[in-house]
Amino acid sequence: MSGFTDSNALSERVKAIPGGDMLMMCYSCGTCTSKCMIQTKLESSYNPRRLIREAVFNMDDAAFADKTIWLCTACDLCYPACPQKIHISGVINAVKALAVESGKKTPYQVAKVDELTCVACGLCVKICPYEAISLVEKRVAFRGTIPVASVDQGKCMACGMCTAACRSTSIRLAEDYNDAELIDTLLSWLGTERVSS
Amino acid sequence: MSETPKLVLFQCQWCLFAPADQEWVDTQLPENIHLAKVPCTGRINPLYLLNAVQSGADGVMVSGCLPEQCHFKTGNIAARRQLEEFSDYLNHIGYEQDRIRFLWLDLQDRGVIQKELAAFEAQITALGPAHNLATRVAETVGGANA
Amino acid sequence: MVDAARQPLIEVKTFTEVEKVEGYVGNFVVTLREKTKYVRADRCNGCGACTKACPVEIPNYFEMNLAPRKAAYIPMSQAVPLIYNIDMDACIHCYKCVEACGALEAIDFSMEDKLVEQEIGAIVVATGFSHFDPTPMTEYGYGRFPNVITAMEMERLNNSAGPTNGALIRPSDGKSPKQIAIINCVGSRDKRYNPSCSNFCCMYAIKNALLLKQMHPDTEISIYYIDIRTPSKGYEEFYDRARESGIRFIQGRPSEITEDPDTHQLFISSEDITLGKVIEREYDMVMLNQAAIPQPDQNHMSSVLNVAQSPGGWFMEYHPKLRPIDSPTDGIFFAGACQGPKDIPASVAQGSAAASRASRILHSDSWQIEPTVAVVWPDRCVSAKGQACGICARACPYGAIDYTKGLAAEVITAKCHGCGACVGECPHDSITQLHYTDAQVLAQIRTLLAVEPEKKILAFRCQWCSYGGADLAGTSHFEYSANERGLRVMCSARMDADLIYEAYRLGAGAILYSGCHPQDCHYITGQVVGAKRAARLEKIFERMQMSPGRFRVEWISAAEGDKYARVINEMQASLDAIPEDVLKAEIERLRPEMAKKLTKLDEIPGVAQALVQVDFIVNEMVGKEKVA
Repeated sequence: MSGFTDSNALSERVKAIPGGDMLMMCYSCGTCTSKCMIQTKLESSYNPRRLIREAVFNMDDAAFADKTIWLCTACDLCYPACPQKIHISGVINAVKALAVESGKKTPYQVAKVDELTCVACGLCVKICPYEAISLVEKRVAFRGTIPVASVDQGKCMACGMCTAACRSTSIRLAEDYNDAELIDTLLSWLGTERVSS
Repeated sequence: MSETPKLVLFQCQWCLFAPADQEWVDTQLPENIHLAKVPCTGRINPLYLLNAVQSGADGVMVSGCLPEQCHFKTGNIAARRQLEEFSDYLNHIGYEQDRIRFLWLDLQDRGVIQKELAAFEAQITALGPAHNLATRVAETVGGANA
Repeated sequence: MVDAARQPLIEVKTFTEVEKVEGYVGNFVVTLREKTKYVRADRCNGCGACTKACPVEIPNYFEMNLAPRKAAYIPMSQAVPLIYNIDMDACIHCYKCVEACGALEAIDFSMEDKLVEQEIGAIVVATGFSHFDPTPMTEYGYGRFPNVITAMEMERLNNSAGPTNGALIRPSDGKSPKQIAIINCVGSRDKRYNPSCSNFCCMYAIKNALLLKQMHPDTEISIYYIDIRTPSKGYEEFYDRARESGIRFIQGRPSEITEDPDTHQLFISSEDITLGKVIEREYDMVMLNQAAIPQPDQNHMSSVLNVAQSPGGWFMEYHPKLRPIDSPTDGIFFAGACQGPKDIPASVAQGSAAASRASRILHSDSWQIEPTVAVVWPDRCVSAKGQACGICARACPYGAIDYTKGLAAEVITAKCHGCGACVGECPHDSITQLHYTDAQVLAQIRTLLAVEPEKKILAFRCQWCSYGGADLAGTSHFEYSANERGLRVMCSARMDADLIYEAYRLGAGAILYSGCHPQDCHYITGQVVGAKRAARLEKIFERMQMSPGRFRVEWISAAEGDKYARVINEMQASLDAIPEDVLKAEIERLRPEMAKKLTKLDEIPGVAQALVQVDFIVNEMVGKEKVA
């Protein structure tokens, strides 16, 4: 077993990434986990405190398999609440960066660009809070080599702000919360008769 | 007025901290209120509002988080800019501003959404059905659900 | 307090503020402001007619503002002396109390504060602590949610002499709470507010929980904690008793309290650490166990008493392990929580110890001080010549130097502990230290570097740490280079830059500048002064393009004999790495630069004569030409 302080140990690698340097300060009070609503609303295995422990104990496999790294949206509600002033999303992001480096991919949906209709206006690039979208020169079928929006899978958090901003409906969330589903259920509900009181 | 107004509630899935409130919204919402849950208020395309309004919704409520508490950093700020401006536009074309309400909830708010919905419903009931825009759209476009 | 007031040899002065403390051990002159109560102590018989007559009602501070009091009041029922008091900030000057007092004529609005000077032999400071106000922690909703109360409020609510006569009720509706939560570490162990642990709150939470459970067996009590700290004798057993009696301990710091706006029920959301799950539980009432913080006027007191404060604001003791009761100023002692949060047994122990330390002074005619005290040459001090300086007074960890512009700095010998920080810092060499005068130390340096100085490693060691470390290296038989030459001073703060320059001028191969670790300094902040100077010197030598490794700064404790040996060996290795001719050339190159910094060395009284003598002796012994 490798030592706790080997430079290739997970904890040391996390500490070397800006944002992950406060890793060892955590005293496991659990404030971050209960401040965050992801565990109660989305994924019951979500737990930033446990992820920090996994990083501290150099448990690479457990940390990279932890869904926590993909779900944290860096809203930083926990940061001002942390009594040790640890930038928790910074630590999670550091672990995530290492996971991406080792070839892991998010199991969750990301925004998809319809390259046939994208006009590269850049509205989505501007509005994305995670700087996950960029305009790239790309060869697109039927359209030649043109600039189109491209989503970085490691950064996208599927908030859908790009789809709301897009004027040509070229970027969308394909699975949950897609446009068609939202509008269809809304219209079918409105299509029913008025409820009498 | 003999009819219960039809309301659409666009709810950001993070704005209710208390599990009990979320459960109430998910399961016990009155029948005349339609819940459209979105990952963030920033996700709400003005198109949704337009769809709801021209198809005959009497009132639209958008509930989201306070600016510094957005789950997606800046989603609700984008939403404020986008949706409030759009509601101005709707007002301009005949859908009264009072029919659209934005509700920005604090983490510590508990039992607020129930009260706000009830108050909103009372307000819409007082205003009466929103036929203004729906009819006009129906005349020009040829029907709400065309 | 009532008992103490009855003792004939104890004079209790309440409602009195210390304005000024002058003098030194055994001879303090303390100026006291005896605040007026507007009630004449010799006439008041404590009947309380004034309170009944007073129409003003304001929140009662003693009851944590849970009950009202009048502007004519006694602060608490055990007050000493038990006479009434008119609160002039609240009084509306209706004089109803004067009417009610009638023929006694005890109330006198013309009374004024009195300033009294008293001669004091020793001072025991026991000003206690204050409570952290949890209002800024908005996540706990204190101040907005009526049923979130602080520990002190709970103390009053649960007290049979308190505002509710001991009935435990919820502030929102007066119902008795059945589900009570206690949250620990509110504002303590929290880098946003007070990073330190408040010491007694864990036990306090358990005590309160047990008390509530005993008085109201049908209540359910949960304690939220990060860690439960029960470090003293019998404490863990107490914790066990609480578990046995059914109190729930939940490990996990709550992140948010939410309130039902209609029923004022509270919901605590926290992660249960052991389950790894977020749980939300409902409570009728929540008690916040606030942090203990220094008194709001602790800074003021510290400047009045001229004692330093530790990080965090508490009064700083002489030594955290060896002299926890003494202040750095002889004759001033600390008792209780003013020196750091502590529980009742520890406060009582420290109080008794402080009393006996103080009586030692009161019963002796003379007082021994360190022999190595600093002395100012008034004719050399630039302040006497009208220049603004005061560097010595700023460097002194004990506030033992009186500096007034226009007058020569003056060392208050009884306060001086002999670290030599002022001597090292004085840019004009106007202060010296008995037994470590510049002449003496320079003579030592010259002797140690008499023969082949370029091969020597001159090690400046502080008396308490690195000297001990070197000693340990010797007694433990750690091998280190025989070229090391040790030189002892009291503190790294005494290691004057002039001494280092002189050693290099004489051709020293390498110099070690060593002392205590910052937190271990025997002279409070002496090491800080020394470390600053060392950093300055490092920069100067770097600019002079001195070979690396010739000047080294290391903090070595008395237990680090191995480190001392290692450092010396490393220095020897880096000295060996410099070719001999290069080193000699460098020494010759730097010699005039060093000399330039030392032009006034000979003017220091005693130095020239001492060096002549040293050179004579060294020449005799070595049989060589005059050194340097």
